[in-house]
Amino acid sequence: MNFGVWGVVALVVYLVALLGVAEIARRAKRDTSPSDHFLAGRSLGTFVLFLTLYATAYSGNSLLGYPGRAYRDGYSFIMATGFMMSIIVMFHVIVPRLRPLAVHHAFVTPGDYLRLRFSGPWAKPLRLAVAILMSLALANFLLAQLKAMGDVASVVTDGRISYPLAVIGLAGVILFYETRGGMRAVAWTDAAQGIAMLLGLAALFGWLMSEAGGLTEITRAVAVRRPSAVSVPTAMVCINWVSTIVLMGLASVLYPQAIQRIFAAKSGRALKRSFAGMTFMPLATTLVVTLIGVAAIARFEITNAADTDEIVPMLLRDWGAAGGFSTWAALLVFLGALSAIMSTADSCLLSLGSLLSRDLLGREGGDEKATRLGKLLAGGILVATIPFALWRELTLWRLIELKMELLIQCVPAFLIALHWSRLRAGPVFAGIVVGTIFSAGLSLAGVTRLGGVHIGVVGCGLNALIAVIGSLRQSGDEAPIDEAGASRSRGPFGHSILSTTSGT
Amino acid sequence: MNGWRSRRSLHRACMVLIVLLYIVSVPWYRDDGAPLRLWFGLPDWVAVALLCYVGVAIVNAVAWSVTEISDVPDVPDGSNGPKASR
Repeated sequence: MNFGVWGVVALVVYLVALLGVAEIARRAKRDTSPSDHFLAGRSLGTFVLFLTLYATAYSGNSLLGYPGRAYRDGYSFIMATGFMMSIIVMFHVIVPRLRPLAVHHAFVTPGDYLRLRFSGPWAKPLRLAVAILMSLALANFLLAQLKAMGDVASVVTDGRISYPLAVIGLAGVILFYETRGGMRAVAWTDAAQGIAMLLGLAALFGWLMSEAGGLTEITRAVAVRRPSAVSVPTAMVCINWVSTIVLMGLASVLYPQAIQRIFAAKSGRALKRSFAGMTFMPLATTLVVTLIGVAAIARFEITNAADTDEIVPMLLRDWGAAGGFSTWAALLVFLGALSAIMSTADSCLLSLGSLLSRDLLGREGGDEKATRLGKLLAGGILVATIPFALWRELTLWRLIELKMELLIQCVPAFLIALHWSRLRAGPVFAGIVVGTIFSAGLSLAGVTRLGGVHIGVVGCGLNALIAVIGSLRQSGDEAPIDEAGASRSRGPFGHSILSTTSGT
Repeated sequence: MNGWRSRRSLHRACMVLIVLLYIVSVPWYRDDGAPLRLWFGLPDWVAVALLCYVGVAIVNAVAWSVTEISDVPDVPDGSNGPKASR
């Protein structure tokens, strides 16, 4: 049997195992409330929480998009290790203040925080604006995962499973286990998927190094093939490096699925331990995929940017074709890559369901109907996303940037709001509208950077300026937070945090 | 109270150190026409960036270890100090 056939067999076995986990998770459900379905009853301990955070953060983008970008840019994409780490640094700004409020007020979605924090006539438009931005970003993220799933499955099975069939079939499996088992199924499968991804990447990297004769030989070969890939970056690339760290660091902490894992943790201690572990994961994952992409420069000649997203599947096919141990090891990596992609897609889908039903449509109840509506909406979005996934010209990296440029506009509503009690809903809403129109407008017009800085980062600066200046100028037209039923409590180091006296 | 203050100081120091490491990681201070020099099989500017990111990981882990994440918000009690456990 050749590698393509083994790929089909491995895929089928893996999918059956996933469905089994979904069934076990369904039986473990305590009730049919949104909290149990979307947050696993807030029961995730350190081990599962760490692995689900890991598997969710490292997705199809990381495993296919990043090597593709490293192939195009060369060693300057080492910036990816820095920006993935900056996300865990930025969580310091949000976690210690948000977590106590989330537990006390039983938050399910990010919008629950906004409902508590902001009052006045602009509070609802603000919640809707944030929900729309987050939903668009999640839908975009989901789209990237569907594209990546299609690429991996079709290339590794040597076309026996076509790209459209892989996208539609795997999306169906995700929808099934997410609907059946909710966050428990997602977190448990994430844990297994995280382990598979780590082992798979280590194996692929080891093979690549031994084939090429070590890192020094790879760098020398790349320098001969494309000198610009190893040379010191220009000033413009350095500016873009900093801008990317800011964009990814600020925007990624606002992933709804990441925020919901802050809510789903069993305890603050479990969260803290998980984040302490997560800070090392870019070295084990992002660095490895970057080196894989750079090593591919000496191995492949790819001219079409969209095709560079297929570097990892192409390497796997080459590796697996060698037969014997290589075939089995390549299959492990294949399942690891597919796991990473599916684990992110399922988290997106779960978050989308809760976000749409609760934050966008205002179904705040704790009953079974709200859970069912969330599941239906998630299914609808998934089906609507599939046709876009079948359009293959957009690179995964561009999809990442588009998503981040939208998400970063929510920064004032969370990061500033958690730390500054004078921030008001009206100016924050105005800032979001201006920042989004600025970023999306220029992006659609084909302007993605201003002097090397991402358009989303410039838009966020404008957005934050409007929110802060507007809040300072505004007086009287909104009740101050404390008079609106809110009291103060202290954060991790004795700073004050806002909390109302009534739960949601 | 002293324990809480020293943890807060350590946390702040970690954050400052992380910012410095990020500044050094970007090779803005290097001449982009410099000849290729390898350290540990990597171009030297890549090795410097990588060392900085290893440093960020270690310092950030320390920062998380001294961060307190409470599961119960304080009730307003008029005191200015941290919770007993902090």
